[in-house]
Amino acid sequence: MLEFAEWLQATPFSVAIQAAGWAIPLIQSIHILMIGVVFVSILMIVLRVLEMVRVEQTFGEVWGRFAPWIWSGLVVMTLTGALLVIAEPVREFTSLSFWLKMGLIVVGILATVAFRRALAPAALTRHHEFEFTAAAKVGAVATLGVWLAIIFLGRAIAYDVEVWGPLSLSAGLR
Amino acid sequence: MDLISIVQQVESSSVGEWMRTSVKAMPVVESIHVMAVAVVFGTILIVDGRLLGLLDKRRPYGLVSSELLSWTWAAFAVAAVTGLLMFAANATTYYVNTPFRLKMLALVGAGLNMAVFQLFTGRHAPEWEHATSAPLGGRIAAGLSLAIWTSVIFLGRWIGFTKGYDFEIPEDVELDFDFFEISFNCLQGPAAELLARFA
Repeated sequence: MLEFAEWLQATPFSVAIQAAGWAIPLIQSIHILMIGVVFVSILMIVLRVLEMVRVEQTFGEVWGRFAPWIWSGLVVMTLTGALLVIAEPVREFTSLSFWLKMGLIVVGILATVAFRRALAPAALTRHHEFEFTAAAKVGAVATLGVWLAIIFLGRAIAYDVEVWGPLSLSAGLR
Repeated sequence: MDLISIVQQVESSSVGEWMRTSVKAMPVVESIHVMAVAVVFGTILIVDGRLLGLLDKRRPYGLVSSELLSWTWAAFAVAAVTGLLMFAANATTYYVNTPFRLKMLALVGAGLNMAVFQLFTGRHAPEWEHATSAPLGGRIAAGLSLAIWTSVIFLGRWIGFTKGYDFEIPEDVELDFDFFEISFNCLQGPAAELLARFA
């Protein structure tokens, strides 16, 4: 894996991103803007389940309003994230936070899709007479927790040794 | 007391000391800052999208803004506290850092933009809140708000890439930023000259 990372880091495209001093901050900023879009979209859906926002809309309407923002935001984040990995593959691949983040992103997407699929059809179309079960509310909040953990791990990539100590994959490399 | 001595006191405070020396403080505080910034930006995007007539066109503006306002302010408070903690770690270097100063200026701009909107267009919201988009003043405020908050995020990330200072260090000078802790005024030689240029 380290060999692959070193090869990738030496490719002309990777070198070009590294050489342009503005590229990585710019890509990271776009990545953070998209975190705002995706996280708040998920937050709105979770708050609707908790009946704290948009109670006059059905869950189906709220899902339809925010889901496209989640998926398109995730596409942009995948692209900007891929560019960041290409630019600094050794830094990313030797970070425990990076791998945990990748794993949790899969969990987060599956949890979000599973939550939507597990809902009874009535949950999508009915208004006030429909109340989410306690289990659905807990599930929604837990999904939000997964996405918060993903944000934490994203920032923690830059602090792998500080956060994970001897567990850090780069502990032996530094 | 002038601003620089306040900044020095912030840096030499026990909070500043803790942020510098604690191994886990910086990553944890930074992540919470990112989470808070995400909520601030995401909720503002929804409200501005409504003002521009791009999103939630059929929901009254008052409803869109009132149900998100407490989330925006709470997240802003968290961002401000975590931001202050990060600032305390290296206050004197951030103080002379151009992206940091520009970010603070942008935040003031965001506040002024919001105040002007509330004072004029926002005050008459009941008259237009059912319309597809806000009057011109509201749409301008929304466009400005999106531009300013986007630049706040860009400038914030930019600060991290300047390592707290943003001037070229001459080859013959070795800068040790711990000297800020001792005293700003007792600096001598090229380091003092460098700093004087930016302070």
